[in-house]
Amino acid sequence: MDLFASLSTGTGYWNPLAWLLATVVAAVIVYLIWRRGESGYKKGTAQTTPFISGNPEPAKGMVHVRASNLYWGYLDALKGYYDLIVPAHTGVVNDYLLWYLGVTAALIIVVVVFV
Amino acid sequence: MTLAGTIGSIILWTVLVSLFGLVAGLFLLGIDRKLAAHMQARIGPPLRQPFIDIRKLLVKENIVPENAIPWLFNSAPVIAVVSSLVILLYIPLGSLISPLGMYGDLILVMYLLTIPALAMVAGGFASGSPYATVGAQREMVTMIGYEFPLAIVVIGIAWRLWAAGVAHPFLLSSIAGNPIWGIVGPLGIIGLILLLIVLAVVTPAELSRIPFDTQEAETELAGGLLVEYSGRNLALFSLSTAVKTLVMGALAVAIFFPWNLSSFVAMPAGVAQVADLLFFLAKVVLVMFITVTLVRVGMARFRINQVVTVYWVHFALIGLAGLLLLMADSALGTAAGVL
Repeated sequence: MDLFASLSTGTGYWNPLAWLLATVVAAVIVYLIWRRGESGYKKGTAQTTPFISGNPEPAKGMVHVRASNLYWGYLDALKGYYDLIVPAHTGVVNDYLLWYLGVTAALIIVVVVFV
Repeated sequence: MTLAGTIGSIILWTVLVSLFGLVAGLFLLGIDRKLAAHMQARIGPPLRQPFIDIRKLLVKENIVPENAIPWLFNSAPVIAVVSSLVILLYIPLGSLISPLGMYGDLILVMYLLTIPALAMVAGGFASGSPYATVGAQREMVTMIGYEFPLAIVVIGIAWRLWAAGVAHPFLLSSIAGNPIWGIVGPLGIIGLILLLIVLAVVTPAELSRIPFDTQEAETELAGGLLVEYSGRNLALFSLSTAVKTLVMGALAVAIFFPWNLSSFVAMPAGVAQVADLLFFLAKVVLVMFITVTLVRVGMARFRINQVVTVYWVHFALIGLAGLLLLMADSALGTAAGVL
């Protein structure tokens, strides 16, 4: 069996072993560079507190960025889309079934008329 | 080739290409800084300044914040450089055959391009700093933004090559071996120019450069996801940026400008490889100047919500228009062939 025969999907190629070998070799080179650097620092001093522009550090809970804020930029940029989509998700099964029937009917019309 | 020969060849080429990538990448950053300085009527630092910066960072203290997750905080910069170097192994460098070119294609390169960014996100979240957390969040949002237009470019080029009967259209050696401009007609040329513009706009975001550097944003986030990094860890992130600059330039050259000097001028094989490599580097410098230096000198930073709109609305539509033009070009070409 040829270990370095690439997996092929017909159009795509991917050989995990070749990638892994190259990654290990590159990791050794990068590790050697990293090891050449200074490793020491002054533990337990002001040096190791988070940088908050010189302000005293508030309680951990006060500076924690919550998961709901993670995609703020994304949600804000596509606000027009989400303003339409979010109210449609009512949590009522009857509404979802109605959507299901409506979309299926629309698809059948498209298939019958255009295909 | 025997198994041992294959393994030896991969190891040797990985070492050579990695060293080349680190040195060439740092020089690219030096050229970028010099050109930007001249455009701002400054003399600017010497070309070797990025090397001096790395050497300086390596002797500075490597501070691990008390709130950080040390193993993740320290491993993120290593992963960022390693993954950037490995991508370079899949991309043709001049007329040199890419060492891993036959072991992966453009789809794989697209996936691998996300790893350095994800390493930066992991490092930011592991820093235990609110600035870094916000920076990591912005990096994720930016990544979601630019992946879609980038995918349109890749699919558009590969589809047009497939339509023209090129075997293995996703292989970078196939793409570089069949310059796309010679395959398409006038409509296709317009489509390709649109796709080239989209790739040019994706490049600064991949490199976290102005106007898409919201994740670092010195004036708002004091460095964002890199705010807690110092010493050798920061040196590695700088190296990662250097290698990624070369990678993005090489990718644009391989897809859109794959011509070699030896195709136009007859020369001995050994000289041809060196000349092609120098010509390749000249093309990378030109691509970097237009997509990174010129843009960062002439523009201000986008807000994070503008970044998503720019990519998902404006440049996704421009990319889709380019793709449609390529499809129309192919259909017209086929119709003309039938007639």
